[in-house]
Amino acid sequence: MSQIITSKNLDVGYERKVVVEQVNISAGKGELICLLGPNGSGKTTILRTLTGLQPPVNGVVEINGVDISKIKKADLAKKMAIVLTEQVSLGLLTVFEIAAMGRYPHTNIMGKLSKTDEIIVEEALQLVGALHLKNRYYFELSDGEKQKVMIARALVQEPELIVLDEPTSHLDVKHKVEVISILRKLCLEKGISVILSLHDIDIAIKGCQKILLIEDGKVKAQGTPEEIIEEGTIQKLYNIEGAKYNELLGSLEFSSPVFPEVFITGGNGTGTGVYRAVSRAGYGMYCGVLHSNDIDLHVAKALSCDVIEERSFSQISLAQHEVAAAKMAKVHYVIDTGFPVGKNNQSNVDLIIEAVKMGKTVFSLTEQNDMDNRYGEWANSIHCCKNPAEILGFIPRKINRESYI
Amino acid sequence: METSQKRKSRQIILLIILFISIILVSLYSISVGSINISISDILKIISGQEVANNTYGPIILNIRLPRVLATIMGGACLAVSGLLLQIFFRNPIVEPYILGISSGASLFVGLVLLGGYTFGFSTITPMGLFVGSFAGAMAVMIAVVIAAKKVKSITTLLIIGMMAGFICNAITGILTAFADKEQLHSFVMWSMGSFSGFSWTQVQFLYIVGVPIIILAYVLSKPLNAMLFGENYAISMGLSMKTFRMVVILIASILTATITAFAGPISFVGLAVPHIVRITFGTSDNRILIPGVILAGALMTGVCDLCARMLMAPIELPLGVITALIGAPIVVYLLLRKTKGNEL
Repeated sequence: MSQIITSKNLDVGYERKVVVEQVNISAGKGELICLLGPNGSGKTTILRTLTGLQPPVNGVVEINGVDISKIKKADLAKKMAIVLTEQVSLGLLTVFEIAAMGRYPHTNIMGKLSKTDEIIVEEALQLVGALHLKNRYYFELSDGEKQKVMIARALVQEPELIVLDEPTSHLDVKHKVEVISILRKLCLEKGISVILSLHDIDIAIKGCQKILLIEDGKVKAQGTPEEIIEEGTIQKLYNIEGAKYNELLGSLEFSSPVFPEVFITGGNGTGTGVYRAVSRAGYGMYCGVLHSNDIDLHVAKALSCDVIEERSFSQISLAQHEVAAAKMAKVHYVIDTGFPVGKNNQSNVDLIIEAVKMGKTVFSLTEQNDMDNRYGEWANSIHCCKNPAEILGFIPRKINRESYI
Repeated sequence: METSQKRKSRQIILLIILFISIILVSLYSISVGSINISISDILKIISGQEVANNTYGPIILNIRLPRVLATIMGGACLAVSGLLLQIFFRNPIVEPYILGISSGASLFVGLVLLGGYTFGFSTITPMGLFVGSFAGAMAVMIAVVIAAKKVKSITTLLIIGMMAGFICNAITGILTAFADKEQLHSFVMWSMGSFSGFSWTQVQFLYIVGVPIIILAYVLSKPLNAMLFGENYAISMGLSMKTFRMVVILIASILTATITAFAGPISFVGLAVPHIVRITFGTSDNRILIPGVILAGALMTGVCDLCARMLMAPIELPLGVITALIGAPIVVYLLLRKTKGNEL
């Protein structure tokens, strides 16, 4: 496949000072490429160099095989458009007028729009879902709408490549998703190549075909998300402390590094919410016994809980049951998440009953009318609660018992 | 929400209203003064017919008409250069006077006016004044542009402009200390800004320089619109920044220099007019703004000049005093009721 843009042994930076070295990017038609890296890692500098806004320290950037510094700006504008993070004061221009500025390289000296130009502008606004805003002033728009209009403007230039610097920052989730969906549509339907930098790890991994990890002035890795994102990659890249990034779930969990004080069962996703709630309240916990393929297990691990694990699709072994029981014996509080019971995890119900026998304070999130069915004669010794908050109401406040700082 | 057609027709109506107002204000301005002359007499004189009182002819043709024509062109030039500078510096509160460009021009005009006699010139030609004024305007403009490249903050740029202005004013002050009394009076009157005593040669010069430059500014509407997006976007849309920067600096300097050379430094027209036009016209599109600013600038200066002549008649006030008194409160008002839209 022929490459729209390629950079060879590119060192980017200011004057002689190299910010990121050896950047080798190439984007084919319709590819969505993402630069991922912490603040100040040089993502913007790379993008500025790729777009010709600043000269490379070493190396070249080529568009369709031609050195970008040798292309006239007016011609370059027909091949490449940009969307930047900088604030623009376009107060009294309408959405249509702003999008129409994208025709700049195509119109005459006074910028007169032909009928075709107008159609192109309307189509672009339609595609980003902003056509209904066309007579609005820019200053009346929300941040998300503004971003969509700026993308429409880039699109109106009819480029082969659009470069965007953090197009989703400052946006709420709805608009983040919308913006990325629009960009994916451009790639897949219009064959436009897109290079962008992102903060959102999640969106990058799930939405982009190729990722470049930028760290410490180097391109640490590049390839498809599956190739380059392994366990711990993101944690290291962003140097995250106090939270764990789970690549499989694509989510960040705040670790609870404290000593376990609660034992919680789980299974089939019933544990996830409870673990998070208990962790938020500042308690450490034992979680078990969980099967390796259960989402609860991954969340519990990301939360740095002490997890008792069993192989997928097999009955909980006596050995693991004993381990769990031993750990349970060390704590005061035991929580049953109301997990569905089958042959493979019947042993977890037994575990709860053992807890009652040990004299622990036991809570259950099982429906009240299922309690007898589930626990028989022991049902009365278990506090049946509706949600994790109710349970936490019974457990003495963490903050009173431990001195912080 | 206004449709684009509706907005467009409103803008055209506004332009027509402005144009008619200029004609009315000009006629009124010609008719009033130490001797009041009827409109019908004025029209007769301008069209070359005889009128009963033969002193009217010279008063109108030699004094009042050139003055009115000068205010029209002067106001247009000031307002257009203000608009250009606001877009160029991406800063809503700049204009030639605030950036010190007028002061630079003043300094050099001072050199020519005060120094000219000393060096033995018996008369000062309009061209001489203009060249001096242009050199001064250009010098300060370039200094400010270089400073603007180094500092990005709007406020810092303003302060640099003001300081440049102070320095120029200080040197002008030194010059005046050495000047003799007669030259001094005319120089001081000039430095407060006034359109009185415009000769036909000066008016001709004003139009010969002003008209093509204003047309050139209008032709620049498209790149000026692109500049609203900021330098990076403008470049990415295909604007050649180097040429554009040079042309804008030249245009703004020439416009400021022309006015300053003949009418003295006049404040606030360049600042207030673009704001007022933006808000009343409801657009930042320079293809509409520039014609609007030309007409509104001419009207504002015309009205101010009329006030300068009439308020304390028979004593005439300096024009700069009136523009400041009218312009400054308008700017403060605009900044206070700042909808997000009136930035640029």
